[in-house]
Amino acid sequence: MLETRNLDKSFGAIHVTRNVSLKLERGERRVILGPNGAGKTTLFNQLVGEIVPDKGQILLAGEDVTALPVAKRARRGLSRSYQKNTLFDGLTVEENLALAASVHAGVSMTLWRDALQSVQVRAIVEEVANQVNLMPYIHAKVSEISYGVRRQLEVGVALATKPLVLLMDEPTSGVGPEMAKGFHDLLAGLPRDLTILIIEHDMDLAFAVADTITVLNYGEVVFDGLPEDARGSKLLRDIYLGAWEDA
Amino acid sequence: MFRHTPLRYAALIILFSGALFTAFTAGYFGMEILTEILILAILVLALDLVAGFGGMVSLAHGALMGLGAYAFVALATKAGLDPWVAASAAVAITAGTGWVIGAICARSHGIYFIMATLAFGQMGYSYFFEQSFFGGDDGMVGPRRFDLGFIGINLNDSRSFALFCLAILGVIYLVAMAILRSGLGRSLTGVTHNEKRMRALGLNVWRVKADVFGLSGAMAGIAGVLAAQHIMFISPKMLHWTVSGEALVVVILGGLGTLVGPLVGAVAFVVMKHELSHVTTYWHLIVGLVLIAVVMSRANGIFGFIEARFRPKTDRMIQSIQTRDDAKEIAKDA
Ligand SMILES: Nc1ncnc2c1ncn2[C@@H]1O[C@H](COP(=O)(O)OP(=O)(O)O)[C@@H](O)[C@H]1O
Ligand SMILES: [Mg+2]
Repeated sequence: MLETRNLDKSFGAIHVTRNVSLKLERGERRVILGPNGAGKTTLFNQLVGEIVPDKGQILLAGEDVTALPVAKRARRGLSRSYQKNTLFDGLTVEENLALAASVHAGVSMTLWRDALQSVQVRAIVEEVANQVNLMPYIHAKVSEISYGVRRQLEVGVALATKPLVLLMDEPTSGVGPEMAKGFHDLLAGLPRDLTILIIEHDMDLAFAVADTITVLNYGEVVFDGLPEDARGSKLLRDIYLGAWEDA
Repeated sequence: MFRHTPLRYAALIILFSGALFTAFTAGYFGMEILTEILILAILVLALDLVAGFGGMVSLAHGALMGLGAYAFVALATKAGLDPWVAASAAVAITAGTGWVIGAICARSHGIYFIMATLAFGQMGYSYFFEQSFFGGDDGMVGPRRFDLGFIGINLNDSRSFALFCLAILGVIYLVAMAILRSGLGRSLTGVTHNEKRMRALGLNVWRVKADVFGLSGAMAGIAGVLAAQHIMFISPKMLHWTVSGEALVVVILGGLGTLVGPLVGAVAFVVMKHELSHVTTYWHLIVGLVLIAVVMSRANGIFGFIEARFRPKTDRMIQSIQTRDDAKEIAKDA
């Protein structure tokens, strides 16, 4: 569903992505682990097109999308959430979701109809709000909801484009352990055919949701396999626990 | 998201009744001032659409209005087209030009966007200033006004013409409202709030900007056609960047991104101009001082100030909670 081939990227002297090749099957749930600065977010930025790789290819549903701009990739079914909330502040939860849904529903450029009243948009907004438990806050403005709820909305906005592949960048960063746990329960409720790639720094949570695990260190894939194999990996422990202690 | 609050409806009704009252009571001179306000109001509505709602501060709107006026006059007098046909063609031209300017400038932001629009505007100004076919710096004499004889209205009568401009302004206001509530308008709001995210959601951001700029250009063109019919004479001065600058002053004075505010601004500006120019030749200075006072008050223009005044206490309480929450989040992010 989503594949990278020998992806490579440097910022000046910093080599942030080193020859990364990944392959996600349809419906696969993969977690990317790795210490801070390993290049996880930069990898996402390349996948969605916000950063152009120096070398390598990105394939979405079997087609090379390496040269496609951000918006076109998104319309082909690639959606992401951000590590740092990237919401429409000043608008309500409903309006945030509706803006995302209106692109998918094809009413983002219409002139005489109100996109927010479109039947299709309303249906998506309701569906997503239920999926990520946002119904109680639906009419609240972004500035009126707590940080944790904003993290849910961050993912909700990405979901409202009805993607084939969903990329989530540390969706539970900064929220308490209980909310993080709740978030992972919520992931279980998402459609099984949705391909999901999550960056997660909490190992236990990662193991709880992952079908497969990829570990990045200094921009390089140092592990790619099943969670049970990762758990026993000394390499992973060394890298990860080392970084953990620094943090 | 654009919403029409009761206060905005109230302001509209007051403005509309005021215009009607003036149209039926004022003498010749008052009627001229009213018409001037109405035409300026159309231009600043067009500007508010891009600058207030789209964050695209344009210094090309005076030029778009001037282009509309020139296209209309040239097509009606030189090509001999019927004024209605000439006007429609002129508006189509300004819409197309606005669309192209919007599309080209879509990637730039802030000061760069302003400078790019300024460059386009000044190109238009220089062209009409130099081009002898359009009368060069002497300008051109305008054509007859629209013929509304078939419904028994003679627009050469200044009251009829003022009422006609009021009707057009009303229609344009409704259109602007419809645009802001349409899919395109909602997307524009999204782009203004968070362009990066809208792109990541699959939106063609440049198309949204270009389309809105084109629609705004059409409105500026209508203002130009009416201005040409009003003063029956046009000169390259209409395209000069100071006209755009003045329109921007009016929008900010009235309240950026409120749609009603710029109408208030247009009334305030033209009335100040006429009242003060009797008293002193330095009237610009006083308008400048008023603008500084409005900006320094940190309200969103005159109308923003009124809205803040009438906002119930509860609203302000919610806001103070919001700022505390935001501070917490910033602390968390750091
Ligand atoms: N736009 C950029 N320009 C220069 N360096 C960058 C840029 N983006 C990220 N980096 C650097 O690349 C490295 C990887 O960053 P990032 O992908 O954010 O790591 P992670 O998400 O794994 O914590 C870091 O050293 C970061 O400073
Ligand atoms: Mg990161």
